[in-house]
Amino acid sequence: MRSGHDIGRSPTVAEFRDRLHEWLDAHAAELAPRHPLPGTLDEQVAQMQRVKAITYEAGWMRHGWPERVGGYGGSPVLRTELGAALAARDLVDPGLFSLVEVLAPTLIDFARPELAAQVVPRLLSGAEMWCQGFSEPGTGSDLASLRCRAVPADGDAASTTAWVVNGQKVWTSLAQYSDRCVLLARTGDAGSRHRGITAFFVDMDSPGITVAPIEMINGVREFCEVFFDDVVVPADRVLGEVDGGWAVAMSILPYERSSCFWQRIAFLYRRLEQLVGLVAGTEDERIAGVVGDAYVQLHALRARSRVTQHRLASGETLGAETSIDKVLVAAAEQAVYDAVRRLAPATVALDDSPEGERWRGEYLYSRAATIYGGTAEIQRNIIARRLLGLGADD
Amino acid sequence: MDATERSMLEAAAHDAFAAAGDRPLDDALATLGWPEMLVAEPRDSIDVVFTALGRANGAATALDDVVAAGLGLRPRPALAVLLPGFSHWRPPGRLEGGRVRAEGLATARVTTAGELLVVCGPGDGSGAAHMVAVPVAAAAAEPRRGIDPGAGLHAVRVDHPAEPSGTVPWDAAVALARRALGHQIAGAARAMLDLARAHALDRVQFGRPIARFQAVRHRLAEALVWVEALEASLVAAADAPGPETAALAKAVAGRAAAAVAAHCQQVLAGIGFTTDHPFHRHLRRALVLDGLFGSADAIALDLGRRLVARRRVPTLVEL
Ligand SMILES: Cc1cc2nc3c(=O)[nH]c(=O)nc-3n(C[C@H](O)[C@H](O)[C@H](O)COP(=O)(O)OP(=O)(O)OC[C@H]3O[C@@H](n4cnc5c(N)ncnc54)[C@H](O)[C@@H]3O)c2cc1C
Repeated sequence: MRSGHDIGRSPTVAEFRDRLHEWLDAHAAELAPRHPLPGTLDEQVAQMQRVKAITYEAGWMRHGWPERVGGYGGSPVLRTELGAALAARDLVDPGLFSLVEVLAPTLIDFARPELAAQVVPRLLSGAEMWCQGFSEPGTGSDLASLRCRAVPADGDAASTTAWVVNGQKVWTSLAQYSDRCVLLARTGDAGSRHRGITAFFVDMDSPGITVAPIEMINGVREFCEVFFDDVVVPADRVLGEVDGGWAVAMSILPYERSSCFWQRIAFLYRRLEQLVGLVAGTEDERIAGVVGDAYVQLHALRARSRVTQHRLASGETLGAETSIDKVLVAAAEQAVYDAVRRLAPATVALDDSPEGERWRGEYLYSRAATIYGGTAEIQRNIIARRLLGLGADD
Repeated sequence: MDATERSMLEAAAHDAFAAAGDRPLDDALATLGWPEMLVAEPRDSIDVVFTALGRANGAATALDDVVAAGLGLRPRPALAVLLPGFSHWRPPGRLEGGRVRAEGLATARVTTAGELLVVCGPGDGSGAAHMVAVPVAAAAAEPRRGIDPGAGLHAVRVDHPAEPSGTVPWDAAVALARRALGHQIAGAARAMLDLARAHALDRVQFGRPIARFQAVRHRLAEALVWVEALEASLVAAADAPGPETAALAKAVAGRAAAAVAAHCQQVLAGIGFTTDHPFHRHLRRALVLDGLFGSADAIALDLGRRLVARRRVPTLVEL
């Protein structure tokens, strides 16, 4: 059995996928969750870190990442294939796993090379978890209005050796498990909007950080309030330029909207298949129509995401057109779970078995697909302005 | 076809269709090298020609050639093909007691061609599809104006002596026809969106272009999402050709056309409700094209039945 180390440094995508699936088959027992699904969030996080450790050790988790951060290089599509395979086999929760794609590229592109080389392998190998501190109580869609503040500890912005952070973040996913946070803070004056924001890479064990998990609508405490009271962050932890945090925040989108989506799509196909298994024997003449509709929606999304991945792989820079992918992924996810609720309403509403808990939890979570990562309305604003050229709105 | 050849063909198709005005586009297509290019370069020629037909709202009989090519025959202007009835995709004919009996639709070619090709499905007990060519004179063809007189469709009945020939790959012909129709719908959808977008920037109400109103912007954005999803589904159907990916592309086409038409019609409002404005032609054409070789609803239901029967939900396209 060949591992991820032995397939060479630039396998084709198909080669990589075939070998990977062979390897996953052979290591199925070792990789399988140690708990019945869905499991608690603690169990899910532990499982993900274990799977990351095993697949990093076997080389798979290193393909598609640059060599300067411990990767084997090659097309980012390779890591997309890995995430999709893990999600489609129920080995990791795609939402949790996607944070790697959201956060590692930021460090690679914007951290000092030594810092990136030091920390990115720790994220990939499951030694660490990171979180993204963007949203605030007064700042959701209008990210440029954020108020969490960072000021130079000594001297001015150019000469200071450290920054002092004060303020609050909210809805920070997995902050309670995280070793680091990619934080956006205001370094310009109050009215400076996107010109006065800086990105920091903050150690979550820094004195002055308090994390308070919040219960979500599905009963899980996945996101948190994070409070910063005089938190000292060394100046070499600035990502990108001082006052250049907007570019850092925007750079996340291409990966979030390609690799992460492909993983979620793989997961949605699996869940639709499991729904079919759940309801196939029942006397309900709507089944074929409802399943067929969800399948059409899912296929449209997969086809679109595939085009986007190919553009990324051929070196194109992804931009506003990924808002189309974002609208489609949210619509397809909600279509799949609408199908679940329509065809298995009692499972969603009343089934207290682990299986029922899982369908219910995922159904509720799917409602956030039009909220996180930029709401559906914000995506349509972007499409109207940037893709349709309709000019500014009122 | 490389990218340059392709864009030259796109430009040539555009010019030829523009020059033809309201006349049927078959002659214009012939000057472009259709149907020879269909045989030589099926993928690009179907994409470019049918997209251009959709955009131009043109009437042509090129679908006959696509079905013939899908059946493995050499397409030619003298050969018309009997299409399945509206919303269906089963072979339109049956062979029984030495006769072919068929009911279906045909393009305007049925009035000019020499032969009409009738594919016959199960009924003879073999389960396979057979092909019979009858003289067009033996077919009773009646124009169907319907909601889109410009589409040139005819309702056709055949009852004629015939013997079964060899079997033909009907599924492959259906798949190719669905891809062609998908492109034509995509062209029509782009055309509707272009009209609505131009109107939104042009039309002033409350002292500003209506493109400034978010309700209008979001409708157009949603329309673009559907157009792009459809175009991607057509790429998937061409990259991973087969009955399923073609069926899905046709289903996405039907959904996209309905969404795009609804959003654009609302944005065009009164002017789009008149026959002075070109929007109505695209709306009509989209409604008719959805019904050829299976509507989105019928295809989605059929796919759903297969998924449920097999308890499998295949991903079909890979990176
Ligand atoms: C499950 C989940 C996980 C999350 N994880 C994180 C995380 O890890 N890190 C993080 O920083 N944040 C996270 N978030 C927060 C998320 O980014 C925000 O919820 C999102 O940006 C929307 O902000 P808001 O909730 O304040 O809504 P608001 O911005 O207040 O919007 C409320 C409503 O108004 C609409 N609206 C707002 N502005 C406009 C406009 N210009 N045009 C039209 N409509 C508009 C919105 O679309 C929405 O419907 C998470 C959220 C969820 C649900």
